[in-house]
Amino acid sequence: MSYKAVIIGGSAGSFQVITRILNSLPKDFPLPVLLCLHRLKHVRSGFVEALSLKSTIPVEEPYDKESVKPGRAYLAPANYHMYVELANRIALSTEDTVNHSRPSIDLSFITAANAYRDKLIGIILSGANKDGALGLKKVHENGGICIVQDPVECEVKTMTQSALQLTKVDFVYSTDQIISYLQKIR
Amino acid sequence: MDELGIVDIREINRVIKSIYDYDFSNHALTSYKQRLERLMKMYLIDTADGLIKKIQNDPSFFDDILCEIPVPSTEMFRDPSLWRWLREEYFPEHMEKTTGKLRIWFPSCVSGGELYSLVILLAEMGILDRVQIIASCISEKCISYIKQGTYDVRKLEVSQENYVRFNGQRDLSAYYKPERDFVTRDTSLISAVEFGKLNINLDFAPQNVRLILFRNNLIYFNPTRQEMILQTLYRSLSATGHLILGIREKITGLAATRDFDIANETESVYRKKI
Repeated sequence: MSYKAVIIGGSAGSFQVITRILNSLPKDFPLPVLLCLHRLKHVRSGFVEALSLKSTIPVEEPYDKESVKPGRAYLAPANYHMYVELANRIALSTEDTVNHSRPSIDLSFITAANAYRDKLIGIILSGANKDGALGLKKVHENGGICIVQDPVECEVKTMTQSALQLTKVDFVYSTDQIISYLQKIR
Repeated sequence: MDELGIVDIREINRVIKSIYDYDFSNHALTSYKQRLERLMKMYLIDTADGLIKKIQNDPSFFDDILCEIPVPSTEMFRDPSLWRWLREEYFPEHMEKTTGKLRIWFPSCVSGGELYSLVILLAEMGILDRVQIIASCISEKCISYIKQGTYDVRKLEVSQENYVRFNGQRDLSAYYKPERDFVTRDTSLISAVEFGKLNINLDFAPQNVRLILFRNNLIYFNPTRQEMILQTLYRSLSATGHLILGIREKITGLAATRDFDIANETESVYRKKI
């Protein structure tokens, strides 16, 4: 197995899915999990705590230039973009919103694709905005694996459908299938 | 437009350094690349070569670069809880101990969002005349922009929401005048602010500063440069002076234990150790 990171993007309707994924990963999951989820910009606390409740791996909101470590989940902080730098560090930014979003899923995915190339698994979940579609395309262009949650299952389909329109993805999976795919990574 | 590669960025930095003696090489790469690409889009430049030629042939363009590379504050009163802390804890405690004027420094103003937030806060507390504010900008263009009071209308709604969460005394609209597609802020609030151009190395930083506001600026530099900047800020502060960083910026390493105490962890406020 040669992957270096998993990156997950989601918006409206993705919270339950993310929670189920985090609660089902093996405790010794060998990769870092980057989470870029749309959230209220003025609500700073509570989200990471909610995700941490039953997560098998530690979930944190990173500080700027923190090193990315395997077996941990990094949640993009409220009102910051979250990038991956080539040196495998998180970089935060307060640049303009992209697709009306900060954090922007596109920016997180594009920078992670630049940093990890074909060693990245990108997953787009339920959401009400096209953010993430361009980012997932970039993951694909760099040879990474692209997974989209089955729109049939999504509470809000815009995000997954936009991603599917733009990229020929590797898998369209239900939440259960996403979980069992990730559980097989050793 | 071409996407910039690392080789392009190095060449751009080399040219800037050779002509203007400014070193951009310690900027955090991803955001710096995006700022350069944004600049190219603004000025309709398609290639790295085109950008380099413009830098070489148009001396006035360099101030545009200095103005557009730094990232402006996202909104006014970002993180309302920090501004509440300043109003309810920091200023009451520290004004009392101050006989002269309390010296405050903004090492890097771009759009003045943080500066205007602070002067509104101080005006509402009735202590605007009891502070000395120094606002440093990397570019002349930024200084005139802030002095004119022009503000991006797209940032008003969120600023207004923040101001309500801050529990301001009035309505934020009391502090600006709507124009056609922008607003003009009440510049009388900044009439006593001392503006100055300061280069990227923060040479000639002011001394005996009691409070530095430097939020979400360090994130645009690599760890080497961050450490150097923190040393400069440390030297500028008076004994027990305070430094406010962005809430996801943290002082790490030697400086964290040797130079600073934490004054307010959730708001990323540090106090200089004596």
